[in-house]
Amino acid sequence: MSRPTVIYEPPALRHIHPLAALRRLRQFRDLFITLSLHRVNVRYKQSRLGILWAVIQPLAMMVVFTLMFTLVRANPGGSVPFPLFAYAALVPWTMFSSGLSAASAALTSHASLLTKVAFPREILPLTYVVAALVDFVLSCAVLAGLMLWFGVTPSATVVWAVPAILLLVAFLIGLALLLAAMHVRYRDVGLAMPLLLQVWLFASPVLYGLAAVKDALPEPLYLLYTLNPLVGIVDTFRRAIILQQSPDYIALGISAAVALSLLPVSYLYFKYVELTIADAV
Amino acid sequence: MSTLDISVQHVGKEYRLGASRRASAFWALRDVSLDVPRGSSVGIIGRNGAGKSTLFKLLAGITAPTTGRIVLNGHLAALIEVGSGFHPELTGRENVFLSGSLLGMTRREIAGKLDRIVEFAGVRQFIDTPVKWYSSGMYVRLGFAIAAHLEPHILLVDEVLAVGDAEFQARCLQRIQELRVQGTTCLFISHDLTAIERLCNRAVLLERGEIAAAGAPADVVATYHRRIIADANAPGAPVAVALKSGVTLTNLSMHDPDAPDSVSCRTGGPLLVSLKYEATRRSPAIEFELRIYAADGKTRLATLRTGERGDEISVDAPGGTIEFAVATLPLGVGMYYLGALARDIVTNTTVAWWDGETRLHVQDGPRSGGQREIPHTWRHIQADAGDRTLAASVRISPPG
Repeated sequence: MSRPTVIYEPPALRHIHPLAALRRLRQFRDLFITLSLHRVNVRYKQSRLGILWAVIQPLAMMVVFTLMFTLVRANPGGSVPFPLFAYAALVPWTMFSSGLSAASAALTSHASLLTKVAFPREILPLTYVVAALVDFVLSCAVLAGLMLWFGVTPSATVVWAVPAILLLVAFLIGLALLLAAMHVRYRDVGLAMPLLLQVWLFASPVLYGLAAVKDALPEPLYLLYTLNPLVGIVDTFRRAIILQQSPDYIALGISAAVALSLLPVSYLYFKYVELTIADAV
Repeated sequence: MSTLDISVQHVGKEYRLGASRRASAFWALRDVSLDVPRGSSVGIIGRNGAGKSTLFKLLAGITAPTTGRIVLNGHLAALIEVGSGFHPELTGRENVFLSGSLLGMTRREIAGKLDRIVEFAGVRQFIDTPVKWYSSGMYVRLGFAIAAHLEPHILLVDEVLAVGDAEFQARCLQRIQELRVQGTTCLFISHDLTAIERLCNRAVLLERGEIAAAGAPADVVATYHRRIIADANAPGAPVAVALKSGVTLTNLSMHDPDAPDSVSCRTGGPLLVSLKYEATRRSPAIEFELRIYAADGKTRLATLRTGERGDEISVDAPGGTIEFAVATLPLGVGMYYLGALARDIVTNTTVAWWDGETRLHVQDGPRSGGQREIPHTWRHIQADAGDRTLAASVRISPPG
């Protein structure tokens, strides 16, 4: 075993080397795997419905919104049956919202661990992202079932789902790291989370299509709207899988820019806060 | 041999009490410098609140210093509170993997050491049982066993040896000796001064966040004792008074009257503690106190007094022994600390203080079970056929 030299200094951004941090994260990859498996296993262990809970949430929301839109005799999905239209967007949305609310509390809910053991703290929020991804895969299986039921077959555009998912994961990690680190200092983050997610759902093209927004909003407002990375991501995912359309490249491009620039910034901030996390939790 | 494995350079750590910006700040450590050469063992001693744990957290990388810097050469493993990473729902085996990977081991490394870990902890039968069903002893043993098999370059040990029964503690010490022989640099933080003297080739005394003394363990431990005695008499009772009183506590020892050779006693069994004192002159009204502390050395569980009923003891040269006897010891299995002091009833000042860190090991009694032995009485009431109260209550129990 080689002898690494480790230096501990007062917290300062200039002392933080992202590459060294990633190397250390790699050293602890087995902890990441063990904790992720643990997260997935323990979460539904003591519930009766078990893993079914992973798909109940988007399905229930789909049912509620379908009833609502049936009552007002509207179908934002156009030619596509509304349940499928809504569900195809609820799948990525649910991954985002459940992953974010769990991951942002990841540090504060492990206070005793943080004050006793030193390990790369980003592992804690990351394991919740993995758990959300597992749920995502399960709800995708249900999505496939719904498509069969409604007789919708995907075309070659389905490959666009891959960058959409990757961007979703990147954005989720970036935001989760930022909020988890902030949560340690400002408990307001935990209190604001339900409200934030509620507003965010309606600010993203989940229950309506992006095209409708484009028609309704004036240009500058629409641009502002697309700054929400979920706009491009959710819309691309839905288009790719059930609408057989290629993405709105501008919206997707903006999403990618926002999501990919947030990730390094929030990782740096996280590593900075990490140095004194044990004093604050 | 001159390579430094640990180099602490002018390190300070400030904590803010409370959340606001104007919250009061205090320095848990101030300008601490310490060099630990490769292969040596250093013991850190000091009272609670002296900054020992803060120094430990900084070295372990749990939190960053406020000033100064720390340079470590080599992998460091910290035994802070064994079993910290355990999850109650997981089995012993799963917890070995979880806890081991928290300490930075890979799954493969852990798998390779699993047998030795389980053997060391002595939990082979229960390795596939969730740890929530473990006894606290098994829990602690498994926790230490994992950390003890890390084979780091630098090992930090914080008071972990205050757990488990005497036999397990002996095994822990043996394991630490093995690591030392292999050239592991060790740093101990402990209340157990005898262990520090035995295991370390250097000791450092921390006081109010600063290094008060450093050097050969025996010297530093002696300094520590002198300061404790001085401080015990400090408020309104300077050292001179203590000396004038002429009483010194010279020994505190205990034994189980049923087994005079044993160093431990049993839950629910008898306990006899002898406190020896020397006196240089007559003092008419002295009260002796025996204190029992929990394993953390802080929580006082009980105080046994000679002056309970207003009795005062007149001491005279050359000295004597006070014996405290407990018929049925109401303490659960574990380790405790004993402390003792002598107080002058007339002036109400502490005149002598025993701080020998005397340990009390309590083992499972033949007839006990659980955390406490509760003194009790019982009686047996035989229900006979003519007992109408009982019969009636049975008859009316189904509702409607």
